[in-house]
Amino acid sequence: MERQIINKRKRVFSLQPNKNPKALFARRYVSHLVPALKKINMKKSSSKTNHPSFEKTVKHEVDMAFALSAQEFAWSRFLLQKLLSSVHDDPVRTSSSPSEILERSSKKQGGGKHQDRDEEEGGEIKKRLKELQKLLPGGEEMNMEEILSEIGSYIVCLELQMIVLKSIVQDNIS
Amino acid sequence: MNGAIGGDLLLNCTDMSVLERQRAHLKYFNPSFDSPLAGFFADSSMINGGEMDGYLATAGLNLPMIYGETTVEGDPRMSISPETTLGTGNFKKRKFDTETKDRNEKKKKMNREEVTEEEEEKSKITELNNGSPKSIKKMKNKAKKEENNCSNDSSKVTKELEKTDYIHVRARRGQATDSHSIAERVRREKISERMKFLQDLVPGCDKITGKAGMLDEIINYVQSLQRQIEFLSMKLAVVNPRPDFDMDDIFDKEVIVSTPMTVVPSPEMVHSGYSHEMVNSGYSNEMVNSGYHHVNPMQQAETSSDPLSCFNNGQAPSMWDSYVQNLYGSLGV
Repeated sequence: MERQIINKRKRVFSLQPNKNPKALFARRYVSHLVPALKKINMKKSSSKTNHPSFEKTVKHEVDMAFALSAQEFAWSRFLLQKLLSSVHDDPVRTSSSPSEILERSSKKQGGGKHQDRDEEEGGEIKKRLKELQKLLPGGEEMNMEEILSEIGSYIVCLELQMIVLKSIVQDNIS
Repeated sequence: MNGAIGGDLLLNCTDMSVLERQRAHLKYFNPSFDSPLAGFFADSSMINGGEMDGYLATAGLNLPMIYGETTVEGDPRMSISPETTLGTGNFKKRKFDTETKDRNEKKKKMNREEVTEEEEEKSKITELNNGSPKSIKKMKNKAKKEENNCSNDSSKVTKELEKTDYIHVRARRGQATDSHSIAERVRREKISERMKFLQDLVPGCDKITGKAGMLDEIINYVQSLQRQIEFLSMKLAVVNPRPDFDMDDIFDKEVIVSTPMTVVPSPEMVHSGYSHEMVNSGYSNEMVNSGYHHVNPMQQAETSSDPLSCFNNGQAPSMWDSYVQNLYGSLGV
């Protein structure tokens, strides 16, 4: 209690909160997640829910907050679509359907002289790109270049999300 | 040369490299041409027997009508979009192609050379998604190399260009010149640039060379991040939010200056065995249990190129630091 008072006095404001995109993401994320959690908590206290579905709801809310806070990126739109379409189902994992676009784009690679080496390497790379496609929401519809650009932003947002979640959890524990 | 003078006077709004190139051209063709401010040249044909008339100097400069040069008015060759967009990097290659093809038939040899140089520069810029100053400088360096090549091989090139009426992207020395391989090359460069960016982003990738290994690392990293987040959300579900849980509390912590924190044991985390340098102990200690040490994302983002350009707004790191420490100060308590 005391600590809270002391903490409130030492609040630090950022001068331009909306200009730093990472701060913006974190702020949006928190603003989406916390009210959702409160709502869940209220529902939980009112009715008895078993743990698995509660966890799923929380996970769903976490994902929703994630997708809503990063609207600038393609993967977030895909993720949002997926979440909205599967509201009452189990949490959906990225499907593992093979991508024709990817194969086509990798086939174009490689000049005539180094075909053998490139083919082997291309095969390895293809495999990995497929893996990556599974991980990234919406990855199946993207070709290699798009995946590479989207993955960067996805990684950063994941990191930020993790930081926020840890802080929330820590906050509630202490 | 009016155009050249204009170019010099418009220094502020044109790209330096183009200007330097033009001066070099002028000097090459007319050794006696020293200072562009020497005075107005009434007759544009004075330079190099008319071959290098005002077109060259105005090529690519968005000159105002003040100077009254017919070169600017009559045939709007190069003067409009290319140079103004050169610096911004928001250039679309397609637009340029259609514009130049229209003016193509009327162009003179040297002008074509200018065009090809600039087009290649621009195509590189577009293709490499030139959002950051670093790559802009790269483009300028390449352009200068081209310029040197150009002044050496000008006669050869002009003959080549006379044969067709299309704008050619200038291929570098010793490389194939057909459009497919150039497009391939540009695409490959784009991809490798993105891979480099990702290399900076994913901790522990400095020593890995080759696409396959890098992709492996990226996959592992993304998987581990996703797993951690899943774990955290489960933990969140277990830990009930306090009724008085206030959003402000998250933002309201004391600023903690890099204190080493105790590692929170978390048996469910996968220890992936990556070892990295700790840059910001503020949150790297948290990540220890997952095996990843995170470099301060702000610093990484500042060196990134296009993909995360929206994260790259040049804010002073100190603001981010104080914000973050503000946000996660409780972890140090």
